Amino acid sequence: MSRRILLGIGILLTVVVSLFPFLWFVVTSLKSQRHVEAVPPTWLPGGELGFYRAALVDYHLTDYILNSIVVASSTTVMTLAIGIPAAYALSRLRVSGKTWILGGLLGVSMFPQIAIAGPVWRILDQIGGLNTRWGVLLPYVTLTLPLVIWILASFFKELPTELEEAAKIDGCGPWRTMVLVMLPLAAPGIFTAGILTFIYAWNEFFFALLILTQPDKQTLPVGIALFQGEFTMPWGELAAASVIATLPLVILVLLFQRWIISGLSAGAVKG
Amino acid sequence: MRLACALIVGLADLGGAAAADEHVTLRFVSWKPDHPQVWEEALARFTHEHPNISILREIAPHSSTAYHDLLTQKLKNRDATVDLFFMDVIWVPEFAAAGWARPLDHRFPPTEQRKFLPATITAGTYGSRIYGIPSRIDGGMLYYRKDLLKTYGFAPPRTWPELVQQAETIVAGESAKTPALRGYSGQFKQYEGLVCNMLEFIESNGGRLVGADGARAALATPASLQAVRFVRERIIGRIASRALLTYQEPESLATFVQGNAVFHRNWPYAWEVANDPQRSSIAGKVGVTSLPHFPSGRSVSALGGWLYGISAYSAHPEEAWTFIQFLSSYGMQKYFALRAGIAPSRTALFSDQALLQGRPFFHDQFEVFEGTTPRPRSPLYPAVSHVLQRYFSRALAFGDLDLAAEAASADRQIVDLLALTGATR
Amino acid sequence: MTRGGADTRTGLSDQAAWLMLAPALGFTLVFALYPVVDSFLLSLHRILLVLPDQEQAFVGLANYRQLAADPVARQAFVVTLGFVALSTILEVLLGLAIALVIHEQFRGRGWVRAAALIPWAIPTVVASQMWRFIFNDQYGFANLLLYGDHIADYVPWLAYPGFAWMAIVLADVWKTSSFAGLLILAGLQLIPDDLYEAARIDGANAWRRFWHITLPLLRPALLLALLFRTMDAFRVFDLVFVMTQGGPGGATQVLQFYGYKALFTEGRMGYGAAISVTVFLAIFVLSLFYIHAVGSKLMEKERA
Repeated sequence: MSRRILLGIGILLTVVVSLFPFLWFVVTSLKSQRHVEAVPPTWLPGGELGFYRAALVDYHLTDYILNSIVVASSTTVMTLAIGIPAAYALSRLRVSGKTWILGGLLGVSMFPQIAIAGPVWRILDQIGGLNTRWGVLLPYVTLTLPLVIWILASFFKELPTELEEAAKIDGCGPWRTMVLVMLPLAAPGIFTAGILTFIYAWNEFFFALLILTQPDKQTLPVGIALFQGEFTMPWGELAAASVIATLPLVILVLLFQRWIISGLSAGAVKG
Repeated sequence: MRLACALIVGLADLGGAAAADEHVTLRFVSWKPDHPQVWEEALARFTHEHPNISILREIAPHSSTAYHDLLTQKLKNRDATVDLFFMDVIWVPEFAAAGWARPLDHRFPPTEQRKFLPATITAGTYGSRIYGIPSRIDGGMLYYRKDLLKTYGFAPPRTWPELVQQAETIVAGESAKTPALRGYSGQFKQYEGLVCNMLEFIESNGGRLVGADGARAALATPASLQAVRFVRERIIGRIASRALLTYQEPESLATFVQGNAVFHRNWPYAWEVANDPQRSSIAGKVGVTSLPHFPSGRSVSALGGWLYGISAYSAHPEEAWTFIQFLSSYGMQKYFALRAGIAPSRTALFSDQALLQGRPFFHDQFEVFEGTTPRPRSPLYPAVSHVLQRYFSRALAFGDLDLAAEAASADRQIVDLLALTGATR
Repeated sequence: MTRGGADTRTGLSDQAAWLMLAPALGFTLVFALYPVVDSFLLSLHRILLVLPDQEQAFVGLANYRQLAADPVARQAFVVTLGFVALSTILEVLLGLAIALVIHEQFRGRGWVRAAALIPWAIPTVVASQMWRFIFNDQYGFANLLLYGDHIADYVPWLAYPGFAWMAIVLADVWKTSSFAGLLILAGLQLIPDDLYEAARIDGANAWRRFWHITLPLLRPALLLALLFRTMDAFRVFDLVFVMTQGGPGGATQVLQFYGYKALFTEGRMGYGAAISVTVFLAIFVLSLFYIHAVGSKLMEKERA
């Protein structure tokens, strides 16, 4: 049946096109220096791990990894801490101009970085946030809040009201209601929003480039973008560093594919 | 140009209890040196001579642009922890006009300045004051395959057309043995190095990048246009691979040391790499000479190199000067030249017998260094450079571009930019 | 999304709600809205960071006039618009294909979905280095695939203005089609199965079902994907920074990269701000246009 064949081709193409370009980098990272410089290139790697050692030790990738972990995790925690109450208020409480606020947040998520980069840099300059991890956190939280609030607001809205009313009868205020009643119910949504925030902060380059100029403070994307060898272009080491930087994301995607997909479409289509 | 690590290297005994009456720690922003042990020994010698001063080195990225952005950001912040730094020769007007670097005339009077190569002193000067002390000299030079030129009976080329002709002959003759061999390799990506490469072509034809008074067309003059046209029609995609339009120093040097280029334009550092059997397949087969010129011009080498500067926000300018004096002394420049192959900025060292015996290479290079030419000098140089980079890159990448119109447009943009700074003087 | 209701049911006090909202609004105000206003104010001044003694003169719209006459800006504008147009169209088309595939029921669908998500999850900087390597003139996979052992035929892709621009488009399409696909997938899932059943009973073949049921009902989702991708494509920066630095010949210099260079390398704060505001306004106008389109579609749907 032609439909099955068509689907088969579609599946094959989706998988091959999605994975193959990156596999070429994986192959390169497992070659030896001699094979990386071979023309024409060799198809298969020898399985050497020398480039990984070089990337981690000679190129101090461990420092960049550490910075990325700290920045991405703290962005996630902070965005959730601020986004959860905001989403709760916008979905369950009486707020005038609610539509405007949600629309405005959506607008902010579409801001081009360059439109705010200069002034954000000046603010950070004045408060001493340049070349600090918390300095880069501030724009990250700002730019991830809209998505988090949209995802969580649509999540909260779906939850039944009975429990909330019961809590109110028991004399719980809005904060206690949110924390004790709603949070456990919204856990899947919070988890989704958290993963998406983490991925954003892990991958962000523009603000990191502007704010973190000191090599010991830089995150992985900056390190990989500015990757340069002393006398030649170190493609093998770069490929190894790229694989290392991507690995956590691949794991996240494999484990939580379902959540990520629901999160990405929630903010958008349920509106 | 390693991915820079910002280890802060404390070279003196920081916990030093046996303090002189006032112990000062200087913070020195520099790149990760190619020869770390040589530097460490030098610094150890300094702290031995000056026990009351210790040096903390802050290692910045090796890419000049990334280094520039880091350092200027610190200076914009009036960061008092920076005492002294290396400046690229093209930054002096910017650092001087912005008030980031201290004028050093009273410490470094003309009698001292005369002991250095004039081009390096000009590079350190802005207006009528000097802000940078030359640590070394750098200039573009022509590397060539001694073995191939000898086989085909050529002497190193004196003019660009000669170079093209030799390259064509050799590449054609070697095509069976080395199919990947090309005639020329240099730096033509849209970035700062493109300006250096093109300056060498244009000025060796009697042209200029920027009019002498900063207000007149320079790129749209016949001499400049002719040189650009020559690169476009005779070099890129002809004797050289078109891939040069994506090459910076590392890629172009790799091509040469893999044995895939007859001629190669690079800075002095390439000599050591090209002759190191570990990293080069052509070790021992490399010659070096001045860059060629056009029949009517003279050889021109773009001036590169690094200067010591003292931050305007440093609390220890006295000690910083002591340190610079030490590093730029005759003895230390000789030490760096012998141990690390760094070309000295003091003229007298080029006739120092002990040095020339250890590094005969400097004898051949002196002529090149004497002819070095600075890039345009302006506090807005980064913006001027972007205009130049774009013009050259367009000229070379678009074969059918109307060169004269494009050059005139670039001239106008540069004149407009330079007019912005004129307002302050 | 705010069809009201919930708030009146619980009837909690406004004060607590505003308190809950305050930090989020504070961040947005300080680090997003104020900067946009500040960018606009800066763009009306001549500010050169390297000339601190120079008066920061109010120059009105002079920076914008200069921008309109600037050949570099014009080229950047054309390059950006072309990039946005071609990449978003390709992304939505490919996204639709991906969505149709992963919407089907088949064994191992979870794995295929995960595979499709990988390009989206890879850091853009990594993807950029990867594509730069694939298009390398000597070691690149593109040449190996096309020319194999004939190294004399190897093409330095990124040295040609047209190819370099296409390479950026291609890298962006590879990286983000799956995101467009997910938005479209969500739309697909909203289409009730019985519509297809009814059509099948009426004897409509697969192609007709796609053309007459799927596509019309998918329109809001497609527009939404187009909106998100357009806004995002306008902000392209990482790909250009890593792959080409705007070259060769400015063929890949997009507006956001030009603005970055003016602001942060050249220190022309006023002029750079004018570029920033222009990018912002372009996106703003486009999104109004889209939202109008999406909004009216949604309304049509509700009326129907």
